[in-house]
Amino acid sequence: MEAIETEITAPVPEAPVGDQPVAPLGRAIVITSGKGGVGKTTTTANVGAALAALGKRVVLVDADVGLRNLDIVLGLEARVKYHVLDVIENKAELDDALVRDKNVDSLYLLAAAQTREKEDVSTEAMIGLIEQLRARFEFVLIDCPAGIETGFRNAIAGAGHAIVVCTPEVSAVRDADRVVGLLPHDWKPELVVNRLRPALVRKGKMLSVEDVDAILRLPLLGVIPDEPGIIIATNKGRPIALDEHSPVGAAYRQIASRLAGNDVPPPTVKVAEPGFFSKFGSLFGGR
Amino acid sequence: MAGRRIVITSGKGGVGKTTTTANLGAALAKRGYKVVLVDTDIGLRNLDLVLGVEKRIVFDLVEVVEGRCQVRQALIRDKRFTSLHLLPAAQTRDKTAVSEAQMDALIGELAEEADFVLIDCPAGIEHGFRNAVAGAREGIVVTTPEVSAIRDADRVVGKLKERGLPHTLIVNRIRPEMVASGEMMTVDDVRDVLRTEILGIIPDDEEVIDTTNRGEPLVLDPNQRLAPIYLKIARRLEGEKIPLTRLESQTFLTKLFSIWKAG
Repeated sequence: MEAIETEITAPVPEAPVGDQPVAPLGRAIVITSGKGGVGKTTTTANVGAALAALGKRVVLVDADVGLRNLDIVLGLEARVKYHVLDVIENKAELDDALVRDKNVDSLYLLAAAQTREKEDVSTEAMIGLIEQLRARFEFVLIDCPAGIETGFRNAIAGAGHAIVVCTPEVSAVRDADRVVGLLPHDWKPELVVNRLRPALVRKGKMLSVEDVDAILRLPLLGVIPDEPGIIIATNKGRPIALDEHSPVGAAYRQIASRLAGNDVPPPTVKVAEPGFFSKFGSLFGGR
Repeated sequence: MAGRRIVITSGKGGVGKTTTTANLGAALAKRGYKVVLVDTDIGLRNLDLVLGVEKRIVFDLVEVVEGRCQVRQALIRDKRFTSLHLLPAAQTRDKTAVSEAQMDALIGELAEEADFVLIDCPAGIEHGFRNAVAGAREGIVVTTPEVSAIRDADRVVGKLKERGLPHTLIVNRIRPEMVASGEMMTVDDVRDVLRTEILGIIPDDEEVIDTTNRGEPLVLDPNQRLAPIYLKIARRLEGEKIPLTRLESQTFLTKLFSIWKAG
């Protein structure tokens, strides 16, 4: 462990001091979904890596206290020394808790505590932490836990924008719809449709992007095709966004480019005729 | 004698808790048992969709707990298997609307009438998890062969042990060809990490997405290749000793047999 000491404490871009011009605060974006397992963590890691590859200063915050995984997806689990709660409770300096990515220089991770509970984090402390990070990074991406309990509320508290990740499945769409309703009303969340299998859509066995859009009515930030390579990349801890030959990687790079303010054409998808799932529209009346 | 109270949990979301609950419940009902499925994912319910009964919900779990209706009024009977029932979660409330003691009492009441009460747990290990586990006397941990799912499952196994709940493991969404090519963990790898007895192994099947969207548990259709697998898991749950299912793939048959030998 000693050998990697220098990696862990590597210098982090600092906030401007003295009479230098004050840089604007970075954007804090929460990646959320309601339903678990739809790709929040994978999206956070890949969009973050792609933004950093564009030269942006990026920090990824794992808000899933007790069930952290972002460190694994980035392949940084052995380098995590301190976590969000250590920083909040003043047991560690922020600089010591930030883990620099192995692949991209301007990408950092702030890990979640694994042996604590979500209720241990106060909303105010989370807001303060995210603001501190915004002073130093251009993008603060917050990986939200599944569900809509305390962990969710803490994750969205410090953010100013949301990316809603959804797979083309009725249960994921219903949960996403619920989450959108719980976000602050003045936000304009953007949608990422993940794990689309165009072949299944054509056979009428999967919802199309249009079907999903008809329910959620959110601006479409990206569409990610399903590909076994993503499991391999996740197990290996190297974001697929850094793989120039992967179509999934390309889809993530497009999202990053769009977030960075570049004029990227909207995502194109080959789709089947919409409206196949006739029962679909009636699912969301709620009670 | 009171029925069995089993929580289906995972830590990580999206690994197949709800699909497993629905199909295992349907399999047990098909085998003649009286089964109640309880959706404890208050605010993010989905078991009703997977069973295709979302339009028939009148009352929900929170209303039962608050005494605003009888349990019987809230239970929805499946039209395909009359011995299968759903107690749906409330959609517009949150998980703190129910306490652990209330959940325990409710599941106890259901178990007086049913052979099996299967409790579909929400993702995570927050209030909703604690409630779901409070009602159970045993657990089934669902995981997929991915590092993140296994780490979360490990955390949940620890929490079940703390509470003294006996539990078994279902390894879901195995892709034999990826296991054979070394791109996916083997069932043995998963078992070694979690040190938990395996109740079943379920291959990845794209039909699950379709049957879920349509609200038809695939156990209903004998042509579905996963149907006999869920029926075997049901029999194992009853206590029958059945060897684990071997997943076959013609291309990698030889390799596969060596991989599954231990199962």
